[in-house]
Amino acid sequence: MSIYRKCWSFASVIIALLVCVACVAPPAAPGASSAAPASGGETEIISWYYYDQNNTDPQANERVGNFYLAKTIPLFNEQFKGKYTWSNVPHDYNLALDLVTAVQNKGDIPDVMRMGASDLPTFIVNNTVQDLTDFIKSAPWYSELDPKALTACTGPDGKLYCVPISESPYVVFYWSDLYPNGFPKTTDEFLKEAAALKSQGKYALTYWGSTAFDGEAAGRYYFQVLSSFGGGYDDGKGSMLLNTPENIKAVEFMREIVTKGYSSESVFVGNFEEEAAFKDAEAGAFPTGFFVAYQYLNPLTSPKGTAYKSATAKDMEDAVKAGEIKIAPSFAPEGKQPGCHNDVFGFVIPNGAKNPEGAKAYINWVMDPTNGVDWVLNAGGGLPVAKSMLSNAAFQTEVFKQGATAGAASDCRAWYGSLLKIPEAKKIIATTLFDLIKSNPTADIAAALTKAQDEYNKNK
Amino acid sequence: MTPRKVRSGNFIARLLPFWLLLPSLLIIGAIQLYPTLFSFLLSTQRVESGTGRQLFVGLANFRRLFTSSEFTQSLVHTAIFLLGYAILTMSLAFGVALLLKQRIRLTPVYITLIFVPWVISDVIAGVVWRLFVVPEYGQFSPFFANPSLFGEPNGISILTSPAHNQISPDFPFPPAPALIFLIVAAVWKILPFITLLILGALQTVPTEVQESAAIDGATGLQALRFITLPLILPMLTVALFNLILGGVNGVGMVFSLTGGGPGTSTEVLSYLLYSLGFSKLDFGLAAALSVFIAILNLGLITLTLRTSRAYEENI
Repeated sequence: MSIYRKCWSFASVIIALLVCVACVAPPAAPGASSAAPASGGETEIISWYYYDQNNTDPQANERVGNFYLAKTIPLFNEQFKGKYTWSNVPHDYNLALDLVTAVQNKGDIPDVMRMGASDLPTFIVNNTVQDLTDFIKSAPWYSELDPKALTACTGPDGKLYCVPISESPYVVFYWSDLYPNGFPKTTDEFLKEAAALKSQGKYALTYWGSTAFDGEAAGRYYFQVLSSFGGGYDDGKGSMLLNTPENIKAVEFMREIVTKGYSSESVFVGNFEEEAAFKDAEAGAFPTGFFVAYQYLNPLTSPKGTAYKSATAKDMEDAVKAGEIKIAPSFAPEGKQPGCHNDVFGFVIPNGAKNPEGAKAYINWVMDPTNGVDWVLNAGGGLPVAKSMLSNAAFQTEVFKQGATAGAASDCRAWYGSLLKIPEAKKIIATTLFDLIKSNPTADIAAALTKAQDEYNKNK
Repeated sequence: MTPRKVRSGNFIARLLPFWLLLPSLLIIGAIQLYPTLFSFLLSTQRVESGTGRQLFVGLANFRRLFTSSEFTQSLVHTAIFLLGYAILTMSLAFGVALLLKQRIRLTPVYITLIFVPWVISDVIAGVVWRLFVVPEYGQFSPFFANPSLFGEPNGISILTSPAHNQISPDFPFPPAPALIFLIVAAVWKILPFITLLILGALQTVPTEVQESAAIDGATGLQALRFITLPLILPMLTVALFNLILGGVNGVGMVFSLTGGGPGTSTEVLSYLLYSLGFSKLDFGLAAALSVFIAILNLGLITLTLRTSRAYEENI
């Protein structure tokens, strides 16, 4: 046998071994319950957050959540001493991707994960999370939950797959000095105000209009406008439906805002560049998520020149308290209710979680108002879903009251409706709407919308 | 010593090289071979909606890929990017290398300075170039917004202006300003490395040969074409390999400079791969695209090798 043949034979054996090892890795049964016992008979509850309890940097982006975990993990472990130990595995923002791949590849699966409900369709398609219907409906806090938030946690089969704890309606933050008569209620009033602001050298509004982050705009400004016109993205049965008279009117309206220069070029840049125009009061209004604006829209400089420069959520609190910024529902055509996307945050229990009972005990602990208020303020974001928490003193500040009122006055729902392939949908929608209002403002709207919906529906 | 012992001793001695190679083989197998085989396997599967089960679908992912408009568009974007990137880099690097070879005053300082862009990461370079052209405050934005230079009414905005008069949506040519800007930024980033490669090669060309050519009456251009180029051809081929691999597979600068936008006008194959895998979680389709990209890389490198060999033989 020549040395080459031996070499090849040997390499083949190694390759075959590697392939065999990879292929016959023992599968973990989904939903298998075999929690690892921690010391002293305690079982471990493993959570995934995009916060890191070990990061003590006061300048870190997610410092609020980081500090929340650092504070509450010992608290929980003390209260459940002898029964449960809570450990958190910090992740980056791609929690949903990490969870889907972990469950598909039978990797390290957490017992409970903080999530945004817009990831739920992806989890359902990939069979990533457990049905929590019985757990939620038998829980003492079930009757207190906002039905809109529960809808966001409901799959197409009517089952509940997530526990909603906080919600963030998409409303409009505006500088009261630039809109002295309040934010316009109708689209016609808005266009008049916009023309007046333009003559003062100001933009009427700024918004997320770019296709960045694979089409995030679909759930933000675009949906806010389309739903305010009575439109949307789906037919309620899982198919995309874009070519409707309401959507066409909404696109025409958005085109007018761009062509008349009522918004700046930066709205199409992405990477949060659009925020700068509002923060410096160059733009009068910013339709966006309540939580996003409250937590991240800072520092601020008002039209009068007042600087709110702590670079924390306190800036927005102070500006709203001072009456310089106000929060309102979106504009809508005469006779229509303002539309809005509602971000819902809470927990899922993944398939393959080793300690689902521990996860449920943890969720019940968070849902207790004593602990839940802290979670909503620091780990979830937005407004509490449970009525008992909403009445807590922490949510009686001006910014929370205005946010809750504006949200309640809007028809808030999940932007994706019955669509399940969220990443595909948002990219197709955002790219099409961007093209219609920015790149090709004379293109046939109906034809472009039909083409987009057909593209999604052929692969759904 | 019995004959059996002799044979067994020889056997162990003969296998010694394999044992020594075993750790390397295992590592290569684990980090290169296994993922490659797994990608091939994944490209023939898709997740069953609702159950999360992996189903064998044969070549269906490839069919889906090749019939999608986003694939066609990103293929055209990649071709434009690659051509612009390779041609511009090679021409500029060759020019700069010829200048540096002249050993003018402070040449070492120039070489050190010119090397700076190469040590900056792709993502950081992308962010910096992006900041140059952000509409409201970018340093170059007023230049591009000049209507007399870039057309009425407001010139162009690199990060948001669409391409005009394209052949069709599925054949996006001519490209958007953002794609041209991306090429320029990528060339700036890789130029030092390619320049140094060519400069190193130029310095190995024997001066005697060049002097002989000059004595024989060869012009500068003739000396370059018939003496210098053939002698540095192997290094030029290496440089071209580097450009092709970087051009087809690089995603960092696209990610941080344009994010694939405006719209999808800078979405190249590598960015589409990222988007399919890590945003859409369509691992089957992403694996099919990764197989296609691997074959494309192989094809382009083979083509480069054959062309350079043919050129060498002609000379």
